[in-house]
Amino acid sequence: MELDYDLAFFGEMFARTFSFWWVILPSIFLGLIVGAIPGFSAANTIIILLPLTLAMDPETGLMFMVGLYASSRMGAGIPAILVNIPGTAGAAATPLDGYPMTKQGRGQQALAMSFVASIAGGLLTTVIALVSLPWLSQIAFYLHSVEMIVIMFFGISLIATIAAKDTLKGLIAGFFGLMIGFIGTDVVYETPRGTFGFLELYDKVPLIPALVGLFAISEAFAIIENQSILTERGKAAMAKPGWAATFEGARIAASRWWHITWNSLIGLVIGVVPGAGAAIASFVAYQQSKTYSKTPELYGTGHIEGLIAPESANNGVTSGTLVPLLVIGIPGGATAAIMLVVLQFHGVTVGPDLFLTSPELAFGPFTAMAVTYTLMILTVLPLARYMSNITVVSTVYMAPIIISFTLVGSFVPRAYLFDMNLALVFGVIGYVARKTGYHVAAILIGVILGPLMETYFLRAMKMSQGDIMVLFSSNIGNTLWVLLVVSMALPYIMDHRRGKSEKIAANDPYG
Amino acid sequence: MNYDNEFDPGLSRRDILKGSMAVAGAAAATSFPFSNAFAAGFPDRNLKVYVPTREGGGADRLLRSITGVWKNKLGVNFEPSFFPGAAGRVGYEKYMGLAKDDMYELLFGNMGPEVLNWVVKKPTFDLSTFQYFAQVDSDPGIIFVSRRSKFKTIDDLVAEGKKRTLNVGVSRLAHPATLGALALGKHTGAKFNPIPLSGGKNTRAGVATGEMDFGALPSGGIVNRAKSFKVLLMFSHKNPLPGRSENAPTMNDHFKTNMPSLIAGSRAFGIKKSAKAKHPDRFKKLDDTLKTVFTDPAFKKAYAKTKSPWEFVGYRSAAQAKEYADNIARIGAEFKELLSGKKS
Repeated sequence: MELDYDLAFFGEMFARTFSFWWVILPSIFLGLIVGAIPGFSAANTIIILLPLTLAMDPETGLMFMVGLYASSRMGAGIPAILVNIPGTAGAAATPLDGYPMTKQGRGQQALAMSFVASIAGGLLTTVIALVSLPWLSQIAFYLHSVEMIVIMFFGISLIATIAAKDTLKGLIAGFFGLMIGFIGTDVVYETPRGTFGFLELYDKVPLIPALVGLFAISEAFAIIENQSILTERGKAAMAKPGWAATFEGARIAASRWWHITWNSLIGLVIGVVPGAGAAIASFVAYQQSKTYSKTPELYGTGHIEGLIAPESANNGVTSGTLVPLLVIGIPGGATAAIMLVVLQFHGVTVGPDLFLTSPELAFGPFTAMAVTYTLMILTVLPLARYMSNITVVSTVYMAPIIISFTLVGSFVPRAYLFDMNLALVFGVIGYVARKTGYHVAAILIGVILGPLMETYFLRAMKMSQGDIMVLFSSNIGNTLWVLLVVSMALPYIMDHRRGKSEKIAANDPYG
Repeated sequence: MNYDNEFDPGLSRRDILKGSMAVAGAAAATSFPFSNAFAAGFPDRNLKVYVPTREGGGADRLLRSITGVWKNKLGVNFEPSFFPGAAGRVGYEKYMGLAKDDMYELLFGNMGPEVLNWVVKKPTFDLSTFQYFAQVDSDPGIIFVSRRSKFKTIDDLVAEGKKRTLNVGVSRLAHPATLGALALGKHTGAKFNPIPLSGGKNTRAGVATGEMDFGALPSGGIVNRAKSFKVLLMFSHKNPLPGRSENAPTMNDHFKTNMPSLIAGSRAFGIKKSAKAKHPDRFKKLDDTLKTVFTDPAFKKAYAKTKSPWEFVGYRSAAQAKEYADNIARIGAEFKELLSGKKS
């Protein structure tokens, strides 16, 4: 695809997009709300609002959908940080460090960091996607099943990282999660496995009930044992409300600009691959961030980079999913697929021709995304101060609110009562896991990445007619394997070297 | 599996009379005229439609186009509920398990792959209690490649398939288009390895990105993406879209075979037979009004916006739907071992 556009054209596009502020602003607030409620997402909200978007002209409809999409991604991180409830699977890695920060009374600061990481990551990848569309769209031609298996391993290897403190328990939790992830019909012969006869499990264990059960409901059970989710230190910190924490959070996040850049690019690349998605990107980003960190031992305790990594990555995915949709007509994710339906309804055919026939529609989603992120700096960042006040609510009220909201949320995507019961079952599993020292995040990684991993693996095996060596049959795949081994071995090598140099320093008579 | 008994095209006049008598009483039923007047008051609330696939796909688009016009003829809205999973199995099982037999609840499925799925694995409900009552599209299966592919003709593809096994992206194994690809391989001696990619969208992605050597799907989703894909072969008696498929040959013409037409996209409305038996008047009203949708210019206009070929859309009766289902089931039985993984 050859594009011949100059800066003046893009300037005009941005100016034109800003004139849709009256559509984008409401979509931002709606997106924040639906993103923050588990069970709702940009995709199902756009479906619910189809009569509205179909009534708009295609360009206005696109602005609305893109605004909703980008802001819902950011909204999903808010409850993940404040009450340990990821709004969507894409935010499942966010509470690992976000929630411990909240417990320490740094909820406002954590939100500000998350917002800056999301906005900067989203904005950066949108601009990159805009200027490198022809090249970016090629990524999907090189990342096939074999390569995706290795990328999955990056995410799944996070189980081993989480298990570092208690290897056996961590691995058992991860394996348990993978087993749950394999429930449902297999992708080749549609044979039901482990469904216990429940029809509701044929289409895999639904993610939202698993997500809210393991994180939110188990958390509600746990916090009821205390009066507040905050530690004593946290309560003291929250007693001094002000804007300082917002500015400090924004400053700290901005100072990690390289971290944001690197992880949002991981998100962009994974987003371009059809079917991959934000959950993979955020786990891979978290794993990479920890691997190359100078302070990996702080991850999981409220580490700044542990929060920034998944948030910048999952916002990087957002612009990535639009690339294959607009360039080759293949949606990169569920929301992009729904956008395609709306465009088709208006008679718009996506693909390379769109850039020539209707550049305002082809480039519009990217400029709309950039404008959305820009407007969010002014509209969403100041909300961090007020949103964080939810953490001072007594657990007597908080626990039942969490349980009722999340149960409704688990019902919404499929409208099965079964899913509400399933969320409660996962809540009990999560509670028992917490009490016995098994990490719920390890279980969840297995539940989320297990089915994806299986899909790519079975596809690769079927294509090679059972030859396992297919996993080492591509140059890109082999390069990724090497990087995976390096990223898994590096922490141990660095630990070993650190221990050795500490030993030398201790024995040094002049030291 | 004997589909002759399981896909009853509809009730005979005698059956209808019996059902009506039960509803209206013996005195009134002796010479019952099934007019819309008898179904007066129906429907007085929205109709629910069970869809055994995800929202956003081809079935969703077609259903919305049809019900967007049909609702005006009935005076009530349609509420689609999507029950994806296990190649349509979840949607059918839910419908048969939950739907009341009051004619307010219908099913909208894709007969080809779903009937084939039953050939491979029987459903838990009794097939003789369900019937399709109106087929609304007939989209032939095709072989297609990416525009970037080195295969420019079906002969190129078959020649390569004789040298090495080619991976063919398919929506699922038990699908009429997959059967077409397998039949092509069987006839020509080319080796094809079908890779199920869970839906048309993923299959197009697999072919477009070059992971698959070629794909086999219904034609509708391919001919409207002519810039990205090229149709190489059609599994119908004649090419219904010569202009939009660069005059792609048919299997029977090109390879001198005598294969039945493999219609891969065959959406149809289904109903519990008990609902039809209890409320023949309501059934008639639904069926009659549905027929008129296809002659309504508003429908043609709405459908044209989807860019899908108009040539495939049209009302086909319960008897025609049954004939189609029987044919597909028979061909599926030939390849049952392969589709169920007992043979590779």
